[in-house]
Amino acid sequence: MGMKEKILDVKNLTKSFDAKKVLDNLSFEVKKGVVFGLLGPNGAGKTTIIRIILDIIRADHGEIKIFGEKFDENLKEKIGYLPEERGLYQKITVLECLKYFAELKNVKKSEDKIDFWLDKVGLRDYKKKKIEGLSKGMQQKIQLVAAFIHSPELLILDEPFSGLDPINTKMVKDILLDLKREGKTIILSTHQMDQVERTCDRILMINRGKRVLYGSLDEIKSNYKESLIVEYEGDLGRIEGVKKINDYGKYAELSLEEDTDPQEILKRLIEIVGVRRFEMKAPSLNEIFIEVVENA
Amino acid sequence: MRKTFIVAKHEFLATVKTKGFIFSLILPLLILLPMVFAMGFIPQTISETPQNIGFVDETGTLQTSDNFIKFGDVGNAKKALLENEINSFFVLPANYFETGKISVYSKGGFFSSRPTSSIEAFLMDNLLRESDLDETLKERIKEPANEEVITLNEKGEVEEKSGVGFFIPYVIAFVLVFAIMSSSGYLMQGIVAEKENKTVEILLSSLSANELLSGKILGFGSAGLLQVLVWICSGGIILFLSPFASLFHGIQISWILILAIVYFILGYLLFAGSMACVAAPASTVRDAQQGAVIFTMLGILPMILLSVIIKAPNSGIAKVLTYVPYTTSVTTLMRIALVEVPIYELVASLSILAISVLIMIKLSAKIFKTGILMYGKKLKIKDIFRYLRE
Repeated sequence: MGMKEKILDVKNLTKSFDAKKVLDNLSFEVKKGVVFGLLGPNGAGKTTIIRIILDIIRADHGEIKIFGEKFDENLKEKIGYLPEERGLYQKITVLECLKYFAELKNVKKSEDKIDFWLDKVGLRDYKKKKIEGLSKGMQQKIQLVAAFIHSPELLILDEPFSGLDPINTKMVKDILLDLKREGKTIILSTHQMDQVERTCDRILMINRGKRVLYGSLDEIKSNYKESLIVEYEGDLGRIEGVKKINDYGKYAELSLEEDTDPQEILKRLIEIVGVRRFEMKAPSLNEIFIEVVENA
Repeated sequence: MRKTFIVAKHEFLATVKTKGFIFSLILPLLILLPMVFAMGFIPQTISETPQNIGFVDETGTLQTSDNFIKFGDVGNAKKALLENEINSFFVLPANYFETGKISVYSKGGFFSSRPTSSIEAFLMDNLLRESDLDETLKERIKEPANEEVITLNEKGEVEEKSGVGFFIPYVIAFVLVFAIMSSSGYLMQGIVAEKENKTVEILLSSLSANELLSGKILGFGSAGLLQVLVWICSGGIILFLSPFASLFHGIQISWILILAIVYFILGYLLFAGSMACVAAPASTVRDAQQGAVIFTMLGILPMILLSVIIKAPNSGIAKVLTYVPYTTSVTTLMRIALVEVPIYELVASLSILAISVLIMIKLSAKIFKTGILMYGKKLKIKDIFRYLRE
């Protein structure tokens, strides 16, 4: 990993809007061929980082190198971007729209590539249809195609799974994994922690413009105490020795106090509910996310 | 540059394919064609039909001639009128020489016209026949003035301008203001629409804000120029084929056209830049339109002050408008239509306009880059000054 080429190198990035500091001395790097999760609560500064990387807005301080170089307009052809703010031209056809975006990315023989990608996302039959007639999910897939059409080296996808049903979520996840296998680098900005956990090699979590977690998923998880998973029937209530319960009704994640013995907890649980599953495991990213943000 | 042209092509095609644009190309023709027809062909048709006019002469002065038929009394004349033997008749009463009064009878109806001038000519012929004046003098009384109007410029030299020649730049000025306003209006709507449909961020990940803005300005400007050319050419063809064609014979319009195109391009760039400044930070078309009101008002100001400029093309107000960037295009072209505008004024007008265009393009590029991703915020005057200083 250490020998791999750096695709993105961000150093001491700072940005304020009026008096509000949105990014505070942020540094991170992304290496070639990884899926990199960019996480943080709403308003943490994720979109601002992405816009600065793409030179859509300028940072107040800091330095960014992409593909080892300072930003240059030509580098945009090596980057594919799916913005969080979704939209397409409504009055033109899928083909016209994708052709325009492809032309701007300097794609030759764009129609072949458009056909290839429309096939891949199952929208070949909609090529000549006007975009306004497509469902929201279909439009999102068209936007993903627009981000992939020029075979970019670096993909920056802001919430790529939001608004997709499970089948399409799986389709998009499979495409991303294919692209990773081809050696593409993917930056994934999302709130969907389960997706991050399953697809990302490394993550950066920011909160109020500051870096709060950074590294590989295993490294991060190893810094957090294991938690207890319980599947049960009944009413859980408060349990002595448990610091925090994330209760879903039939399923709960329990964070134990420092000196609590899990065996003791199991005994107490059996007294109050019907236990169907009892398991110690590393905390989920979701738990870590909630803990980090709440404790900030 | 390549991406600028791709954007320009996209915006141009997207604009000219809209129903609104196609309608705007045809609309002036829909107005002009019936006007030319009404002004030219209808009077011709009417005058070409020979009119039989009856008369009842109680003074015993008038003699029957080609189309003038004498009746003994009003009753017979009425009967002939009702039976369509004559188109109208008039009665010359016994006291005509004292009062000059006559009564003209005709039937009502949309296309009926009173033959006043024919009757006057007939009366004059008969009255002059009674006098013993010299024949040449009689002719002059019948047609006292065969006018040729000679216009002098400020130096007292004869200006070579046809009476109808002024009409052309005048029309061009109107076309200009409309074309500038509509194409910069398209630009404004295009920017806000892209912001509303959220495509702008995808575009900015492919090209710079400057390339995007210049592509848009070029695309919408070309659509506007196409509009101007279609109007001028089709208007020219219609006039050429109309009965007025002979009036325009020999008029040199090439330099006026060139000047009009130069003023269109510069004027459009100025308004386009201004519209981009108000459209980029706006969240809806309505917001942008509110911001654009000031520029629209400035743009049509010469039209509002039309009568003042026509009455006194060299007045203080006309000269002031010549030096104001937003009003100079139309004002200068209108003044050229009316008087000889000194070269230094023309140069000053074009220079002021060109410098304003340069400043506006620089400013609008900065405001566009910042404003296009602003949602729900208003652009403040202090921001504009900050951009200008940067």
